[in-house]
Amino acid sequence: MNGEETVIDYLLLLFRVLVFPGFTFIVLFTMFCDWVERKFEARMQNRMGPTFTGPGGILQPIADFIKLLTKEEITPCETKRNIYRYAPILAFSVLVFALCFLPIDGSSVIPGVSFAGDLIFVMALVSIANFALFLAGWSSSNPYSAVGAARVLTQFLGYDIPLVLLALAPAFLAKSLTISTIVSSQWLPFAILAPWAFVLFVITMQAELEKDPFDVPHAESEVVGGHETEYSGGKLAFLKLARDVQIVFGAGLISVLFLGGANGPVPFGFLPQFWGTLWFVLKVLGIVLVSEYMTVLFARLRIDQVVRANWRIILPLSILSLILTVSLTYWIFPLV
Amino acid sequence: MPKSNIDIVKTLESKLSSKSVQILPGQLGTATVKVAPGDHRDVFRALVDADEYTAISAISGLDLGANLGVYYHVRTSNAFLTIEVEVPKDNPKIQTVNDIAPSATFHELEVSDLIGVVVEGNPRSGHFVLPETWPEGVFPLRKNVNASEVKQNPPLPEEKSDEGKLVKIVIGPQHPALLEPEKFAVLVEGETVKAVQPRIGYVHRGVEKASESRSYLQDVYLVERICGICNSCHATGFVEAVERILKTEVPPRGKYLRTIILEVNRIHSHLLTLGHAGLEIGYETLFQYFWRDREPIMDLQEILTGNRVVSSSLTVGGVRRDLKDTDIPKIRSVLSDLRKRLPFYTELYQNEPSIRARMQNVGTLKREDALKLGVVGPVARGSGVDIDIRKDDPYEAYGEIPFNEIVRSSGDTWARMNVRMDEVEESIKIIEYALDHMPTGAYRVKVPRVVPAGEAIARVEAPRGELFYYVKANGSTMPERVKVRTPTFSNIPAFLKTAIGETIADVPPNFVSLDPCFSCTDR
Repeated sequence: MNGEETVIDYLLLLFRVLVFPGFTFIVLFTMFCDWVERKFEARMQNRMGPTFTGPGGILQPIADFIKLLTKEEITPCETKRNIYRYAPILAFSVLVFALCFLPIDGSSVIPGVSFAGDLIFVMALVSIANFALFLAGWSSSNPYSAVGAARVLTQFLGYDIPLVLLALAPAFLAKSLTISTIVSSQWLPFAILAPWAFVLFVITMQAELEKDPFDVPHAESEVVGGHETEYSGGKLAFLKLARDVQIVFGAGLISVLFLGGANGPVPFGFLPQFWGTLWFVLKVLGIVLVSEYMTVLFARLRIDQVVRANWRIILPLSILSLILTVSLTYWIFPLV
Repeated sequence: MPKSNIDIVKTLESKLSSKSVQILPGQLGTATVKVAPGDHRDVFRALVDADEYTAISAISGLDLGANLGVYYHVRTSNAFLTIEVEVPKDNPKIQTVNDIAPSATFHELEVSDLIGVVVEGNPRSGHFVLPETWPEGVFPLRKNVNASEVKQNPPLPEEKSDEGKLVKIVIGPQHPALLEPEKFAVLVEGETVKAVQPRIGYVHRGVEKASESRSYLQDVYLVERICGICNSCHATGFVEAVERILKTEVPPRGKYLRTIILEVNRIHSHLLTLGHAGLEIGYETLFQYFWRDREPIMDLQEILTGNRVVSSSLTVGGVRRDLKDTDIPKIRSVLSDLRKRLPFYTELYQNEPSIRARMQNVGTLKREDALKLGVVGPVARGSGVDIDIRKDDPYEAYGEIPFNEIVRSSGDTWARMNVRMDEVEESIKIIEYALDHMPTGAYRVKVPRVVPAGEAIARVEAPRGELFYYVKANGSTMPERVKVRTPTFSNIPAFLKTAIGETIADVPPNFVSLDPCFSCTDR
């Protein structure tokens, strides 16, 4: 290997990490998803949604982000300063890092980082991100934030267990804990082979992402902004962005584990990166729309109802689903 | 439609024969009872024993020169009494009645805050309506006080209170759950509410005092501005009272037009609350749908009165605008469009699982508590208490128009919202009946500017419940005293009672089910 090739390799790596399918793509795609969500929700509710910035208001999320960045930042004096300052950026970067493990264009963002068991690592990153959100609220020293943060923690402690249990179904079917292997073994999406696990995973992800009917930590009529109450300016911008990245990550995880990720129904020989990305994006958008549909359709549950729904319904069902998947593998395996 | 055939005046006469009680039938409601301070407790005891519906509608405080008048306005199942007590101004002490009629608590606080009657035995103390910075010993409703000359104290530093393990979640004065400023400090342990400390008065504008220095015509527009949503109800309450003093009979067409305006007001208010409830339980879609369908009703109000929000269409002696015949088909088509959508909304409120999860068994107010606390309107009717002024004490054209009184018995948030849902349908029926049977002829009569000395009360069923007006005229162009008691003022005790023991998440739906209106409450 000569020097020139090494430089080109490095440049390619940098391009992958920073531009496509890495950081820039992820952030822009997140904002695009945000726009799709807002527009879809608005149309469902007989509203226009964003219209002003860009064609159909498509640039509105970017404008909102920039606007928040330019606003004054206020740090109340009783906050735990360092945690308060770094929790939003921690949540954001952990989630972007987790997204880097998903094969967006057919292979993970940083080539070669995929390792046996990276599924577990990614799930752990999600937990850390949620914990960072809890820290953001807890460090604010505000009663609304405290209640909101306690709700984040309560909810995520409950729903993390079924989420991991349900994520095991595709792992069993693919006989691997490696995300890339799970994707490559889905010539038939696992959503078709194990629909019970898929449906439950989508619902649990809705709770994990704190969207209606499970968005109790954000219940503005009860706890104002929840853990975000004291945040303003750039920190708030990153908290909001972290939440949007979380939604894209959730949808991405569903599409990777159950819908075959970047695999298309028809394989195209040329430009695999382009087609892979297209399929991935379309699947993520589909999941985002389904999740937004649920949001629009239901009222917000109460925290005790959310917790009860988890321990009494979702957890037993996810254990059942795991048992079902394992016991049916004999018939399903030939199809994989 | 009398709910019972208790003759309350006879009962009082027989029970209080030993006391020096003067009963004047036909004045200020069914009768006025004049008693000495102290004896009023016996009157209340007799009333409460005789009739379970006994509740205090309002307490008016009056500056009578050397004395302060304390007028207890009491409603029973089929009558409305005013119990007049006078206390000397230099020693204005009166015993509380809240141990006999718990509905008195808030009213007594208001009287002591605004006119300086010292109520002995009321469990609460301190300013209730006036700000904390208000100077001691200045009572705005007394005649010698000029509100613009009052010097307020500098604001006190906020006290650090120690509630131990309880976390204080302050709802208001600015809070997403409230559309208007009012403060409810909710003490919570974990997620469970242990206590609620109310503080009203953030939007106290002194309308009662201001109306004493304006002419009767100006006052119509002033009282309309007490509440933007039920403005016509306020105007009706005031003009009804003034018309009773003047002994003016409004022409039938005027009465029908007023009825239509009032019912449009009710539909618009109910749709607003039904939508707002969606927002409180995180059901934004419900909110957007209801508010979309509320828009044509606002347009209807514009067709009827010329104004979208504050109608300013009522006046002493009738209404200010006639209804054009060409507008009637427009009104009918708007109403039939709304009627077509109602089954969907009713189905939603009755059966949608997440609405039921959030609203059923939340804020349950038992029937006996509802009676005891003296709640009014849909809150009372949701708890199985069948009070509706339109039926009990018909005003305007309501005596001639058939409609159903919606009563539900479960007493929770869900019942209260469904009462409103069904009342929208009834309101549409009332408007259509009124359009069908609209009398011809004049829609207003001219009235003199000077109102002879006298006093009168008026009760109106506003969208939120019984709205009470007391007007005292002194023979000039301006009223001597105007007392307004708004429905939310009577309904807040229900929230304070039912919120305790439930979770924080139950507070917003419970609260919005009262349809709170704070600009009304504070006046």
